[in-house]
Amino acid sequence: MMDLLNAIVALSNFVIIPAMSYGAQLALGALGVTLIYGILRFSNFAHGDTMAFGAMVTVLVTWLFQSWGLSLGPLPTALLALPFGILGCMALVLTTDRIVYRFYRAQKAKPVIFVIVSLGVTFILNGLVRFIIGPDDQRFLDGERFIISARTFKEMTGLREGLAFKTTQGITIITAVIVVALLFWFLNRTRTGKSMRAYSDNEDLALLSGINPERVVMITWLIVAGLATIAGVLYGLDKSFKPFTYFQLLLPIFASAIVGGLGNPLGAIAGGFVIAFSEVTVTYAWKKVATYVLPESMAPDTLVQLMSTDYKLAVSFVILLIVLLVKPTGLFAGKAV
Amino acid sequence: MSSDPYSDRGNKDLSLGNPKGMGTATPVKPGGKAYPAVGGPFLIGENMTGGYGAGPDILHDCTIAVDRGEIAVIVGPNGAGKSTGMKAVFGMLNLREGHVKLDGEDITQLSPQDRVARGMGFVPQTSNIFTSMTVEENLEMGAFIRTDDISGTMAQIYDLFPILKEKRLQAAGELSGGQRQQVAVGRALMTQPKVLMLDEPTAGVSPIVMDELFDRIIEVARTGIPILMVEQNARQALEIADKGYVLVQGRNAYTGTGKELLNDPEVRKSFLGG
Repeated sequence: MMDLLNAIVALSNFVIIPAMSYGAQLALGALGVTLIYGILRFSNFAHGDTMAFGAMVTVLVTWLFQSWGLSLGPLPTALLALPFGILGCMALVLTTDRIVYRFYRAQKAKPVIFVIVSLGVTFILNGLVRFIIGPDDQRFLDGERFIISARTFKEMTGLREGLAFKTTQGITIITAVIVVALLFWFLNRTRTGKSMRAYSDNEDLALLSGINPERVVMITWLIVAGLATIAGVLYGLDKSFKPFTYFQLLLPIFASAIVGGLGNPLGAIAGGFVIAFSEVTVTYAWKKVATYVLPESMAPDTLVQLMSTDYKLAVSFVILLIVLLVKPTGLFAGKAV
Repeated sequence: MSSDPYSDRGNKDLSLGNPKGMGTATPVKPGGKAYPAVGGPFLIGENMTGGYGAGPDILHDCTIAVDRGEIAVIVGPNGAGKSTGMKAVFGMLNLREGHVKLDGEDITQLSPQDRVARGMGFVPQTSNIFTSMTVEENLEMGAFIRTDDISGTMAQIYDLFPILKEKRLQAAGELSGGQRQQVAVGRALMTQPKVLMLDEPTAGVSPIVMDELFDRIIEVARTGIPILMVEQNARQALEIADKGYVLVQGRNAYTGTGKELLNDPEVRKSFLGG
């Protein structure tokens, strides 16, 4: 009995909690991608670097606040700086839309052209972020590190396995729930949200109904900037802020959006968790859990790790391939790819 | 290979782009002004010449009009520019020559949104509903420019099309052809338009549903809303028309009252099958 409890705790500690928070970060990123895909009609390769830019502004403002001695007590100061990061990111996306994407919209350029344009924007942003903050790892996390640390958990329960629940993981999950609820309420209940769905459904008819396309595009960018910054900051708090990792994040984020069904917000969330859980479970060394659960004679000698963590990006692609082969529209009927 | 750098190459990969629902119109840009232009019919597209984007002209000196309390019908063979004429009147394409006048104002420079705000309602021939949204949301989107209470108008639409009330929480894309057309007309009526433009409202529906739709359209016209309509079923449409236009290759071929056109031997021979 004790062994089973220990196994569950070990599993939660190393798989469930990390995958939950990673999944929430992917889901927020994938939501941004799916919104751009649904409304502006292209796959925005610059999304990873938009996240990096928003997170960078937040990091800089956090440092400023820290130098002023401003803090949120046990919570990271970055939460206080987050609104400024979002504003900075909004300014950035509106500027790129104004000087880059708007031209192509006026030409009625096909989506594939937008994709390549967004790739160009990616490289510019990539350089911009590294130019401003440098290519290295940056620390900006402060406040209490754990909600429950492994040691207090062991003392509390008397179990051999510890369960650590980091503050950043708690914040990530709570923030993701709030943001997703707000987004769905906005899209399904408000007039502006509905007009965005209408524009996504049928641009010409939206125009005939008196919906202003440029306004829809602007609001979409603003929401996407908010989502990207929040996702970027949460990821940075949980791991660390390094510009290049955001470019790499693009891959699992797109995998999440496509697995869930491109253009479908609900799918983006489900996809995020599917990708996160599969990445973590496949690269986790199951030896500890197996030792607790299996009888002593069957205890494994090896780590029981299916794949080294170096290959975790490959896992998202295998999942992506399977889903596309079996259900091309993604788990939730999005657009058939 | 096409010479247009913004054309369709490499565009079939849906993981990159989402062309479904993309706009095809090249509407009049926002920011234009209306000028007073007294006299003439309630709504008139006068001597219109133009086509889509930088393409060739489709309309040549074409005039279509509708006056208060009337039903005007545009008929003609395929590719005659009937739908294009309607879009031109609504500002969905740029005119090279000619004017559009509504209720004593020249609105040629106004964007489609501004024309909606001035009381024009338009039901296009295809893609005329938001398929992924519910019937009720479709109607709400029709009333997008209104800031007052829309529940009264919505009740009127449900009275006119009772089936829509039954299906109001269903996605409009799941409805039958006739029901979809009712949603489309209902959506346009939600602005309480001063003039309604219908592009082939009976396309693709069964004869029984077609008769019913015609009845509803006459019902709407009786409330005093002028209706400008393109129709494939020329005979049936001209029977209810106060005014008829026969377009051929983007030009006015014959114009007259519905009865005159029905009795005109030329028109009968060429367009009504004897």
